[in-house]
Amino acid sequence: MLGPTAAVLLTFFVAPVGAALYQSLFSWDLLTPPRLVGLANYEVLARSGELLAVTLTTLRYSAMVVVGAVGLGLGLALLLARPGRFFAAARAAIFSAYVVSWVSVALLWMWLLDPDSGLVAGLLRWLGAPRMGFLTDPDSALATLAAVTVWKITGYAMILFVVGLQDIPPALREAAALDGAGPLARFWYLTLPMLRPTLAFVATTSLIISFQAFDVVRVMTQGGPVKATTLFVYAIYEQVFLDLRVGRASALTVIFLLVLVLLSALQLWAFRGHGGRR
Amino acid sequence: MIRRRALLAALPALGGATACAPRRLAPGEVALWFSYGGKNREVLLDLVRRFNASQRRYRVIPTYQGDYFEALAKVRTALAAGLAPGLTHVVGEVLPYLAEAGVLEPLDAYEGARELGFVRAIAQEGSYQPGAAPRPLWGIPFNRSTPILYLNGALLGGRPVPATWEEQRELARALTSKSGTSLRWGYEVPISWWFWVALVGQAGGEVVAGSGEATLGGEAGEKALRYWQRLVHEDRSMRPPPGRDYNAWQVTNQDFLAGRAAFIWTSTAFLRYLEENAKFPVIAAPLPQEARAAVPTGGTLFVMMRQAPAAEKEAGWAFLRWMSEPEQAMEWATRTGYLPVTEGAVARLETSGFYRDHPNDRVAYEQLRAAQPWPWAPTLFRVQRQVVEPRLEAAVLRNEDAGRVLAQARIEARSEP
Repeated sequence: MLGPTAAVLLTFFVAPVGAALYQSLFSWDLLTPPRLVGLANYEVLARSGELLAVTLTTLRYSAMVVVGAVGLGLGLALLLARPGRFFAAARAAIFSAYVVSWVSVALLWMWLLDPDSGLVAGLLRWLGAPRMGFLTDPDSALATLAAVTVWKITGYAMILFVVGLQDIPPALREAAALDGAGPLARFWYLTLPMLRPTLAFVATTSLIISFQAFDVVRVMTQGGPVKATTLFVYAIYEQVFLDLRVGRASALTVIFLLVLVLLSALQLWAFRGHGGRR
Repeated sequence: MIRRRALLAALPALGGATACAPRRLAPGEVALWFSYGGKNREVLLDLVRRFNASQRRYRVIPTYQGDYFEALAKVRTALAAGLAPGLTHVVGEVLPYLAEAGVLEPLDAYEGARELGFVRAIAQEGSYQPGAAPRPLWGIPFNRSTPILYLNGALLGGRPVPATWEEQRELARALTSKSGTSLRWGYEVPISWWFWVALVGQAGGEVVAGSGEATLGGEAGEKALRYWQRLVHEDRSMRPPPGRDYNAWQVTNQDFLAGRAAFIWTSTAFLRYLEENAKFPVIAAPLPQEARAAVPTGGTLFVMMRQAPAAEKEAGWAFLRWMSEPEQAMEWATRTGYLPVTEGAVARLETSGFYRDHPNDRVAYEQLRAAQPWPWAPTLFRVQRQVVEPRLEAAVLRNEDAGRVLAQARIEARSEP
């Protein structure tokens, strides 16, 4: 019975990873014969600072996305997990961003954030704020991309939290209230612990989405300005499709996989360590 | 290698998913992978349709493959998988790389190959510095261009067109305005290799010395960078457009058309597009000079893939010859703004009065007198994409020391590939 699953895993996971590992030991541009260079691709990536820069940029972006999506999603769920048409409409409106394609979202926000003609820029100017190059300033571009990502995925996080909240028996809240627990205490000692599995799930999916980010980078910034938004997947794309370096792209892919495995292990450890439901 | 090729053939996703999926060609058919969107794509497809309708023996199958570098990535993947198209077109900086990799078909032996009467400065012969021995003919000019200056005639008023860097700087300052919530920049140009190379040439330098060393213009390279830095940070009269590669070029065009930039530098390729879409008179002019007039050539050359079957090459050559006839060369140039590639086409544009009636179209052709040939360097595009372009962006946006930035770039360029 395990045969088909093993075959799929072998074909679509083990073999590609093995191929990437093998290719990472070569210098190859797809045209001229590949040249065995050992670990030189890894060495160049480390020595040039590219690996550190890409890793830190991706981690910063992921941290912003995970914190933003979890925080905002939970806040909105607490606010909107109530009966009534108005709340249902509000939940649907917020969730709708999640089903829109990444490219459409990116184009929409590029227009909104254009420092000269965008709606947001116009509003800020009207309020007397200085000109803001959200996507052109290397110091703000990554946070802007993270904010756009949070805007898109918060609806998804919110719906999961709403379901999680509905899963908490009302009798528990009532009992806590009768025992004299205020709203804050009820949230901290009752709601939050009961939501831990949902929290872990939302955090993990947000982390995966942030690590897989490509479309939003490709459309909005192409990794710039000054490589400020060159995330892992985009860096791999750049290496292989723009700089024509299959070996270095494969080395980055291998490292990317290791980082993901490490982060997933950490997350799993944290989840198990705190006795979450499975 | 065989296993790699099998893998690539089995995984077209590596090279752009279905776009690279092989199509079984009938006898007499040739695949043409091209890189245009918008107006230029429309004109090319019209020409292909006309070629296909003009005879029954050959048929060109055109496929859009993204911008120049996306298309190059797909061509490489297809080459590795043994599925390369018979014809494509590549930017000048990439031609030496493909030629030296041995994947291009030499065109000398094809009938009439040396008698097509190309404009020398944009043919292979004039586009590259000469080597110790004559090179085979690897590419023939197709959409060749130079950067030119586009001015908003309504905003320019009676002011003269700038002929020097200093005049351009003054004009940018004069035309920059902030009124209420609206902002207009004097000058806009993508912070990109091609335009920086133009500045380097104008400042009297060259990016690669005769010895083959990537000097990146030496002092001229630094001067070019400082010029942009002054306009962006001191004068605040130049907008470095957001986005990289051709995205920044599109933004530049849009800002010009929307009146957000009074004048821009971009390719002559956009001449017709800008003229047809601007709500103001568009004035084209040569780029201003500093120590001298200088301009790089740009655009692409048609190339044929060595691995294509003989029948496909035969059809490909028939199409290339047809495209090089004055009628087609003229149509391509007049409907897009690209340079007419043959002297015959230029002569007919003169005698028909086209240039008299469309002085903007003449600018790029006349500017060819100041065209600087590219070095025949297989690693040039790596120096461009990996060494210079990211640093230009950093230097201009962060106002970093031009001398230090280019010194680092020279060190890295020496270690390429």
